[in-house]
Amino acid sequence: MRFAQFLVDLAFLIDNSLRYQRIKRFVKNLLENDDYPYKRYFDYFMIFLILSSVVIIIEEVKTPISKWLYYYDVYFVTGVFIVEYLLRLWVYNDVHKIIILEYEESLFLERPFDTKRVVKEIIKKKLEYIFSPLAIIDLLAILPSYRELRILRIFVLFRVFKLLRYSQNITHFFQVLASKKIELFTLLMLVAFTILVSGISIYVFEEQHNPHINTLYDAFYWALVTISTVGYGDIAPVTHEGRTITMIIILVGVGLISFATSIIVSAFSEKLNEIRENRIVHTAKRLDNYYVICGFSHMAQLLAKRFKREGIDFLIIDNDANVVERALAEGYLAICEDATQADAFRHINFNSVKAVMALTQTDMHNIYICLNVRSFSKECFIISNAVDNNSHKKLKLAGADYIISPYITAGFFAAKIIDEPIAIEAIKDILLARKNALCEQVEVIKGSFLEGKKIKDIDFDRYKLILLGIVKMEESAPKEKFYHKFIFNPDEEHRLEVGDILIVMGYSVSIANFKSQVVGSSLRHGKKA
Amino acid sequence: MVKKHKILLFGFGRYAEQIAKNLALDAHHVVIASLDKEELKVAAKDGFEDLHVVDIKDDAQLTDLILDHDITHIFCAFDDEEKNIYLSITFKSLFRTLPVIAICESKETERKLKLAGADKVIDTMVAAANRLYYIVEKPAVAEAIDEILFKDKSIIFEEIKVPKGSFLDGKNIKDIAFSKKYKVILIGLVDKELGNKFIFVTRGINHKIDAGDVLVVVGKKEDIKNFKKLLGVMV
Repeated sequence: MRFAQFLVDLAFLIDNSLRYQRIKRFVKNLLENDDYPYKRYFDYFMIFLILSSVVIIIEEVKTPISKWLYYYDVYFVTGVFIVEYLLRLWVYNDVHKIIILEYEESLFLERPFDTKRVVKEIIKKKLEYIFSPLAIIDLLAILPSYRELRILRIFVLFRVFKLLRYSQNITHFFQVLASKKIELFTLLMLVAFTILVSGISIYVFEEQHNPHINTLYDAFYWALVTISTVGYGDIAPVTHEGRTITMIIILVGVGLISFATSIIVSAFSEKLNEIRENRIVHTAKRLDNYYVICGFSHMAQLLAKRFKREGIDFLIIDNDANVVERALAEGYLAICEDATQADAFRHINFNSVKAVMALTQTDMHNIYICLNVRSFSKECFIISNAVDNNSHKKLKLAGADYIISPYITAGFFAAKIIDEPIAIEAIKDILLARKNALCEQVEVIKGSFLEGKKIKDIDFDRYKLILLGIVKMEESAPKEKFYHKFIFNPDEEHRLEVGDILIVMGYSVSIANFKSQVVGSSLRHGKKA
Repeated sequence: MVKKHKILLFGFGRYAEQIAKNLALDAHHVVIASLDKEELKVAAKDGFEDLHVVDIKDDAQLTDLILDHDITHIFCAFDDEEKNIYLSITFKSLFRTLPVIAICESKETERKLKLAGADKVIDTMVAAANRLYYIVEKPAVAEAIDEILFKDKSIIFEEIKVPKGSFLDGKNIKDIAFSKKYKVILIGLVDKELGNKFIFVTRGINHKIDAGDVLVVVGKKEDIKNFKKLLGVMV
């Protein structure tokens, strides 16, 4: 009874300890959560340990290794493996929760606290982990350090298997195979049955005549080698009966092999999309500052092309599988999801999304997408395509921050193309960055040589740039929507302030050069100060 | 410099509606032609008066329309790209010299329109997509271009043909402080010596300006006017 009381007290103590919870959560994230940023480093570390220890063990086969390497392998690597194993066992489940549950149940049902049952439950849960395939591999991977037993060397293999844990790709491979469990099991049974029958028959027929077949083990070995169509030829049948059996199982073997191949191939073709989608979502998760484009419409395609050329990351979401296929063929990241459904954004971390663009061809979809995105993130910048002019207001209400309409843009350009045709051509060249002449924004950074300078003191000619104007930032306005005051062709005496944005025109090399000078001068300044 | 053009606009769909409004804002006279009476009704609602029901397949009707109204530009702005191609070809066969402007939504149509003889083609999707790019990636540039092109009516682009004997004739670009002295920004020029291609000044090559070259400048209306006066170009 005292022991039970002690258990319950301990369980509640742990349950109430924030520090314990925090530590456990950290360990759990580190070991199991793929989205946890530090897990990757942990994985790399473990992969390094495994590879180094495998190399050491292989090296040891031929030449005696140095004492330090031996210590490193036996104590450090194995030590880390043991600690990892124990930690995994620890975070697998919460023991104290089992105790508390039982305690609460016993109070509720007014029966005595059943210590035996609790202990049994705890052991059952932990054993469940211990006997899971990956845990067995972990355990076996610890063994090779015990060098006195040579046979344990075989478990070096398990160290290599341990790599599975740290590599997404291989895990996927096994997931695919797992989806065909029943078929593979059937196949295995079939193979086992054939080996059994043919092995026994060859043993019966040839044991007396064939010098190579002495035991049943030899016979099974021969059967498998033959059935797999490998056929080493180290053991060959010598009697007529034996040869007849060989002919039969060769035919059966060809059948079995094609059966196995077809199972695996079909498993992959079924799961391929899922895996690919998974991978894309995973890649997208690792991106920082990217755009989400919903609907791979014509406009979206052109935008994607431009983004790609400028090296900007983006993710395309479209609900048409064929369209997604096309986007993937172009080498873009694309997933097949319905962006009007909440499900589509469940993997997306809106903190690293620069903006979401709803570019479908129908306003209704765009409105849904805006609402949907807003329900996930209040701050995310949303841009929407509008087909109908009446939709502008609705889209704004649905949460779009900016509305683009090809019709309105076309209207702007159309009017100008009559009055100022060359201007439009020039602007077009600049906007499309066709002739390598660009329009670029350069911010006046604190400490850079631009700060506090007058326009006349900056020799734009030397940089081979044209200054079109300056955009002044309004401090009160939110970052995304500022840019209120544009000063065209500013006065000679105009003094630049930090935060002003110069609009310059020039060739890409000149602009890159100018930008790097601005940034460089600000860094130098920072160092001095 | 703003003279009133008479523009014949075909269609009154989503594109044409916006185009018509912007043209009207710039004080052009817009004549709207369409076969669809519903479209013309919308046009009437928007305040356009010069409306005509025209079958684009009827050459006689088209010829009458243009001659009657003394049209200077033709704008093919049907939402249906094929009609625009058809119209471009028709007009090029009827009136060789009349400038035809057409809109399209894809590169393929743009190519066809150019083959059909359209003088200017606006790819609306390219325009919108690139605009979108600037808005998200370089908002300040987008703002500046908006301001220069559309919002601020006092800033204009101008093509100036350098007259013979003017003070620019025979000078090098580098020797002239366009923005300091005349308050206009020289973007580029069409140099007759180097073929009729538009060249950005930022190439860094020091061009010699000759009579007949076309300078592309941007600036305040007033400053450009003064600059032109100095050059001796008729205002």
